[in-house]
Amino acid sequence: MPIPLNVLDTRRDSREERGPAVPPTEDVREQVFELEAKGEWLVQRVPDPWIGVTTKYGRIKKIPVAKTWHHKSCGQCGHIPGYSTAIFWLIRKLGLDYNDPKDQTSCTAWNYYASATSNQGAQAAVAMRNFGAAYESGYFPMIHCGTSYGHYKEVREELVHSAQLRDEVRRICDKLGKPFVMPEEIVHYSEWIYAMRDEFAKRRVLDLSSIDVTVHPACHYHKLVVEDAIYDPDVYGGQRTAVVSAVVTALGANVKDYSTWFDCCGFGFRHILVQRDFTRSFATLRKIDVMREEANPDVVLTHDTGCVTTLDQSQFAARAHKPNVGIPVMSEAQFAALAMGAHPYRVCQLHWHSTEYRPLLEKMGIDWRERWREFEDDLERLKKDDKAFLTWEDADA
Amino acid sequence: MVLQARYADVPIEEKQRLFDEVKADARFESYLYGCYECGICVAACPSARFYDFSPRKIAQAASREDLPMFYEQLNDDIWNCSQCFSCTRCPRGNNPGGLITIMREVSINNGLTSAKTALEGYGRVVYKIMSTGTQVSPDMLQPNAFPDWGPHVQEISDNLALWRRALPPDTMHTTSTAWYVDDRTLTELYLIWHMTGVLDMIKQVDTGLHMILNDVMEELLEEAGFTPE
Amino acid sequence: MPETILVIGGGPAGLEAARSIATIGGRAILVERRPVLGGTPDESNYAALTPRMGSAQDALDILRAGVVDPDIDVRVNTTVTGCSGTVGDFAVTLISPTGETTESVGSIIVATGFQHFDPGRETQMYGYYEHADVITLPDAEKMLKEHHFVRPSNGEAPRNVAFIQCVGSRDRRLGNEYCSKVCCGVASKEAIEIRRLLPDCKVYIFYIDMRMYGYWENEIYWPAQEQYNVTYIRGIVTEIVAKDGRLLMKGEDTTMGRPLEVLMDVIVLSVGMEPSRGTRDVAGILGIAQNKYGFIALPGEPMDVVSTSVPGIFVAGAAAGPKDLEDTIGMAGAAAVRAVGAVRGGARAGAAAAR
Repeated sequence: MPIPLNVLDTRRDSREERGPAVPPTEDVREQVFELEAKGEWLVQRVPDPWIGVTTKYGRIKKIPVAKTWHHKSCGQCGHIPGYSTAIFWLIRKLGLDYNDPKDQTSCTAWNYYASATSNQGAQAAVAMRNFGAAYESGYFPMIHCGTSYGHYKEVREELVHSAQLRDEVRRICDKLGKPFVMPEEIVHYSEWIYAMRDEFAKRRVLDLSSIDVTVHPACHYHKLVVEDAIYDPDVYGGQRTAVVSAVVTALGANVKDYSTWFDCCGFGFRHILVQRDFTRSFATLRKIDVMREEANPDVVLTHDTGCVTTLDQSQFAARAHKPNVGIPVMSEAQFAALAMGAHPYRVCQLHWHSTEYRPLLEKMGIDWRERWREFEDDLERLKKDDKAFLTWEDADA
Repeated sequence: MVLQARYADVPIEEKQRLFDEVKADARFESYLYGCYECGICVAACPSARFYDFSPRKIAQAASREDLPMFYEQLNDDIWNCSQCFSCTRCPRGNNPGGLITIMREVSINNGLTSAKTALEGYGRVVYKIMSTGTQVSPDMLQPNAFPDWGPHVQEISDNLALWRRALPPDTMHTTSTAWYVDDRTLTELYLIWHMTGVLDMIKQVDTGLHMILNDVMEELLEEAGFTPE
Repeated sequence: MPETILVIGGGPAGLEAARSIATIGGRAILVERRPVLGGTPDESNYAALTPRMGSAQDALDILRAGVVDPDIDVRVNTTVTGCSGTVGDFAVTLISPTGETTESVGSIIVATGFQHFDPGRETQMYGYYEHADVITLPDAEKMLKEHHFVRPSNGEAPRNVAFIQCVGSRDRRLGNEYCSKVCCGVASKEAIEIRRLLPDCKVYIFYIDMRMYGYWENEIYWPAQEQYNVTYIRGIVTEIVAKDGRLLMKGEDTTMGRPLEVLMDVIVLSVGMEPSRGTRDVAGILGIAQNKYGFIALPGEPMDVVSTSVPGIFVAGAAAGPKDLEDTIGMAGAAAVRAVGAVRGGARAGAAAAR
């Protein structure tokens, strides 16, 4: 089908003639500062230097380059540890300062969305306790999980709009001895990756021009408090979030479209734990199958804990009756790290993933047999107690 | 008003009481404005494709204050929702998924049988998150818990401690929590559960779990010199 | 005291206002930013008018002929850049390619109109910037004007065409909470025209409520269903994606209560009205209040539908909110009377504006 580029260009160009559009939503950040001015809470500023990125309605969001406090994800650290490790590895590769805290709990939102055995006050208190811990450390929160990120943005809205809730949570923070502090921006790690994508591209060591990628945007990234997610006119005409996709392009791989991109992965929060027939069906029928049929990608990249888990783990059972499945799944952080020469096992920890990923590594030009042998040697040394843990130095050895 | 076949035996006053609890939630007002039945939420909803479930009907029943239908949904529908919030695409600004979050909370607080059923097999997760501060731990990867994830889970389980030691970030060598959480941090979390009434919620749906959690928390809280209110 | 009235905007509202001013013995300066008169119906290639299918160009010719009058000073390629003074004595700065002038006028009529909502601008997920075969009502109108309705991507005649209503209207998320009034009728009219041109083409209209007031019901809605077999389906579309070289639209058929995923060849987005850039700019220059959507505010509604927040400045047509042509023409006449009245008897007009 010939694509009449001029038709689409004309449409885009008319945007300029129409003049700037007024964002349809309030800018909650202004109210965050107003509450600071009234002495209601502290606002932790985004440290310098930061990078300005554009959100859905054209506002600028500050993404800190360094001095980040890593609000880790339980699902990542617990079941996909290469995800978190890759994020840290990327930061270290750029020589940037960060803080990986122990004074951090989960956001507890996975449980909340699964079982509702919590409430608004508790959820807000957990968020503000973590924000307080970040503030005390002097590092700025960067949130690894899409659900934590979306949930914290909801919590921010609720706190801004309810003096009663603020009072309840402030009272709790006082009791805990934690400062009552709201960060200037709520930042997801994938926004940092998006902001830094050119730095990664500069350090890329693999040719990815033959790698086709489908992207699954995480629901809780772009559907909760939508105006705060990153959009870019050059990515899908600015009609889909630009995170992940723009990173794939910057790294020289190919983003492939598929018709169910907006669908969720099937995680379902409670379904992934106690009702997985739904999760498996949705993940394979509505996502993996469609991707295979329409785009035939080498890998699925996404930017959230639940999505990687669901899309990866759901493919095993489907193999029984569906020869079509079998697309490896990982985060864009792991993919970027691989592109920059990270070790597939020491750093990206792909042995924790379920769906066959080795053909992908071969296509990317990675000798996985040799890398696995190296990793097995590491394990032998650990077994013999030559050393207690694999270190960052080992990872890049 | 639709003629209701189910739950006709439940007094309308009880249905009204539960609906009023939902409506009293501070978030209700910003989660439901009105519904003109455009269907955008249904088209975006994953659960609508696999269950007899409709976020549009959730919004409709709530705005009509159709108590029999609301009560049916409270028991039979809300646990099918995926909480993905695709339905926030609503042009009226409704948040049917958010309504469901509130409805679930109300059903837990009231110890509805349907809530207890929905949480069957889920207690271990509640225990994990409330007692350790991380919901997902490496040692949850057991073949009997995830039989459909394949033999791979067995491999992870067999090598768990060793594979965790092969992780460069030093917060992640844990097996029973996702990362190392300081005791002080845990104590603060316990205090939050107490102060916000979450422990009381657990009591409504699972008294056994409530007892265990209380025991686990007591020690740390006492050590830190906290007396829960 | 200058007796001249400045009319800003040469579309239907401005043309009719200027003509009305001259008819009752006043003088007008009519400024238009484009080189030709006619406004949005001309710029956006309107072909057949709703509901009676009369020629838009013939209608515009009648309006244009009305301003050929010694008492009407028509200035095309001209915009207003400044304004000072009060009712009865405004000094306005006009810029045209020949230079800048300052004119004394007694009152002002704003007739700066609307612009069609840009469905690509907001993240509607309708892919207007991505898929050539996703078009808007004015895009369709342009093709219908040439009696040639095709898939823009390949020039072939479509077999299935869908209209999606309320795009950019009735939407809290977009900030446009109002109904744009005309899109139901215009979509139905275009649907009839497509059915006439392409008898084998199925045409669907996906709607929330069909709003066909008065005679639009029997003159457009019923004929579309009864004579032209246009299919009306209750339910709006969540997103449009490409599939197998066609367009896949996803929605719910809310009458039947089932999810809906269907392939279309062309999808027409029934885009609503937003204040034009001219309306927004002129409001700032004249210092007149706008409502929350950017249209000119009418503090005296419902009994005064033309007075703005500033005495001596009036508004006509879609600059004040979504309007059909009938409302626009009626409003223009009312604005003309009030503007002339403000010049001739300032006190009474001022009192009316303050009411």
